[in-house]
Amino acid sequence: MDVTEILKSLTGTFPEAISEATAESEIRARAYVDKEKAKEVCQYLKDSLQFDHLCSVCGVDYIKRNEFEVVYHIASYDHPVVLMLKAKLPRENPEIESIVSVYWNVNWYERETYELFGIVFKNHPNLKPLILPEDMLGEWPLRKDYEGFPNKTARNLV
Amino acid sequence: MPINIPELIIPLLPWIRGVVGLVLIGAIFLAAMGAVWLERKLSADIQSRMGPCRVGKYGLLQLVADAIKLFTKEDLKPWNADSLLFNNANIFMIGSIFLMLVALPVGAIFINGVEYPLAVTQMDISVLYIEAVSALSIFGIFMVAYGSNNKYSLLGAFRNFARMVGYEVPLGITVISVAVMTGSLSIVDISRSQGLHWNIFLQPLGCFVFFVSLMADMGRLPFDQNESEEEIIAGWITEYCGMRFGLGFFAEYMHMVLGSFLVALLFLGGWNVPGFVANNPVLGLIAPTGFLLVKAVFVLMVIIGLRWAVPRFRIDQVVDLSWKKLFPLALLNLVWAVGLGLYLGA
Amino acid sequence: MEEQLEPNEMIVHLGPQHPMQPGPFRLNLRLKGETVVDADIELGFIHKGIEKILENKTYLQGITIVDRICYLVALVNEECFVGCTEKLLGIEPPERSKYIRVILDELTRIQSHLLGIGEFAEFIGFVSMFMYAVREREEVLSLIDMVTGARVTHSYLKFGGVRDDLPDGFKEKTTPVLNDLKKEVDNFEQMFHTDRIYRERTVGVGVLTADVAKSLGVSGPALRATGVPFDIRKNEPYLVYKDLDFKVCTETAGDCFARVQVRLNEIRESIYILEQCLDQIPNGPLFPENTLYGRRTPVMRVPAGEVFHRVEDPRGEMGMYMVSDGSDKPYRVKVRGPYYPTLQALPPLIIGTTVADVAAISGSMDGCTSEADR
Repeated sequence: MDVTEILKSLTGTFPEAISEATAESEIRARAYVDKEKAKEVCQYLKDSLQFDHLCSVCGVDYIKRNEFEVVYHIASYDHPVVLMLKAKLPRENPEIESIVSVYWNVNWYERETYELFGIVFKNHPNLKPLILPEDMLGEWPLRKDYEGFPNKTARNLV
Repeated sequence: MPINIPELIIPLLPWIRGVVGLVLIGAIFLAAMGAVWLERKLSADIQSRMGPCRVGKYGLLQLVADAIKLFTKEDLKPWNADSLLFNNANIFMIGSIFLMLVALPVGAIFINGVEYPLAVTQMDISVLYIEAVSALSIFGIFMVAYGSNNKYSLLGAFRNFARMVGYEVPLGITVISVAVMTGSLSIVDISRSQGLHWNIFLQPLGCFVFFVSLMADMGRLPFDQNESEEEIIAGWITEYCGMRFGLGFFAEYMHMVLGSFLVALLFLGGWNVPGFVANNPVLGLIAPTGFLLVKAVFVLMVIIGLRWAVPRFRIDQVVDLSWKKLFPLALLNLVWAVGLGLYLGA
Repeated sequence: MEEQLEPNEMIVHLGPQHPMQPGPFRLNLRLKGETVVDADIELGFIHKGIEKILENKTYLQGITIVDRICYLVALVNEECFVGCTEKLLGIEPPERSKYIRVILDELTRIQSHLLGIGEFAEFIGFVSMFMYAVREREEVLSLIDMVTGARVTHSYLKFGGVRDDLPDGFKEKTTPVLNDLKKEVDNFEQMFHTDRIYRERTVGVGVLTADVAKSLGVSGPALRATGVPFDIRKNEPYLVYKDLDFKVCTETAGDCFARVQVRLNEIRESIYILEQCLDQIPNGPLFPENTLYGRRTPVMRVPAGEVFHRVEDPRGEMGMYMVSDGSDKPYRVKVRGPYYPTLQALPPLIIGTTVADVAAISGSMDGCTSEADR
């Protein structure tokens, strides 16, 4: 499937949820997705457009714009296009629907994003810390305003 | 054979027996140390590396260094371990070896054409006795594994039982079939009765089944599930430190040495030498024992080499092998032995 | 998992220190006798915070840190990071650097597969096989050492090229090593195929079907052993893979035996790729013309943007998502390791098998916990 066909089909099916859909090259495409509709878009991608391989889910902290972004990279075993979906979340109370029912292996990625940023994934079966110790829950280390653990900061060495 | 004991020695006999016992204990420990050294060097050869090579020439004193290390380690006991079982398990492990040593002949000397086997006692039922006593070590292993208060040891204990129960049966049946063909249960008679026709040629199936069952009985790879390092750390002996571990470790190697002697005596012709050698005054003293030792060392090297050449079974495959494959073969061998015995006897 | 235990059930922790693990993680098993009824994994014992560290170091310092994501395949990790940054910078290394990078990547793949096969054999009790595999690996490691100067954590790649050229006489030293390796791989294959006990331990153990593997998210040799020909070097070729001739090795059975067979075949394919590279490598500059990338510039500003780059790690698909805001340090780097989804897929695979099979299955997945934890 061609990357332009994929984007056309996506924007055609979800005209109000997908915005700024661009094709960066033959094999890379990106789009912003509304956070309420992320799960439906993923379900559509998996069922109709053969995107059955979830590469990763991560969070990015844009402190100057006062928002988080949850970035989904979804690829396919059949064609080489990788789609990057980004959902914007407010910084005060970040919540988004979990897509565990669509892709089974997103379970651990969402746990990790939760414990590093504080983004809550609703309806996740097991939202516990994965790679940080239990007593570090609540510190959200990967945010840009994280003070350091425990009273040490990472120095800028040039 | 009647030996005239002068009247003077009779009060000294208990002391003589004590000295002989100590010499035997020392000898079996030395033999076990030799077996460990042989295993380390042979396995290094198979894996294209050098074994122990720094302590003493060819690493011969490596075991002395290891024994010193084991003696000087702290003796720990887990917090909730069962004291009675934990402290006394070594008695069963080593005790079964010493009891086996009592009846096993390690050679023979020919003086004026008369044969004197070198055994501490000669019983009429020595083969049965050795068989029974070697199974005592199961108690030792189970006491350690169960009394350690450790789940890994417990898994080792379960596997141990499953394995031992399955392999004692073919072991016993093959030994009985050898005894049936010879017509006696005494190991000296069995060894003496093989002239040029070793039992391995008369009962090849029996030898094979006996060898496999012996390897399983001793707990050597491919049958060492109860101590398999990769799955349950050290299995049954995880919680033993210092010389307790050393005794258990040495008990396994002593069992290996005695087992190879057993194979050599039962199937490989014992200490039988041609007539002209037996009548020679000098050679008659050393040749039969030396010949038996050579055969035992050969069997030992085969057992050691087999450990490093094959992977390990899973426990359900081990039990499967013993009950579904070795047991019928052992019964077949018994029928064959009875038939052959009647034919040769008639 | 900690709910009411029945009379003959117990919970065993194959804990952080265990002889059979590729790195520290805790595997909680709930056993009924010897059968696994439930399983659970806890990670985080070797979490180094690499993603946070990378936000505070410059791009050049980042190369040294990215080495440590998985210390055994350090060059492939560097390849991913440097590839991401080069896409943001908009430069491409010249042909000679690309060929050198492919040579080192394939040598890394060979030594990682040899270690994987050896470790798997050790986990099922075949200790001699481990020694033979490691003996062959020494030869390959000394080749890598000759080029980069280190056996692990090389720090050899630079933006736009490589740090140093190949030494003189590299081809003459490599060719006998590769020929010996071909014979040894044939020996290993024969040893595996004719050993009865090995077949009993591996055939039919830990079977994955193609659908299950795709939905679980595994990639790499574990996926190719189920019949799915998914290889990043063919799907989206990077460096010079589109000029090289090789095939994607697949098997259909999906059990431990097939996974080891795929790794053996991949070693052969890597040897073939190396021979082609050594023949085809052109002479030329190591860095792009008329640029400063060859000089030692510690401060390098990368234009703003985002990129996602994937490479074929020996264990699967490795990806990095890099966000840059125009300064000399990355804004966010997300490392997607290949062993992370495989480790996640381990509990469903081992339910219903015995403890001995847990060792075999987790060994045949050939992982490195260090890259799962980062």
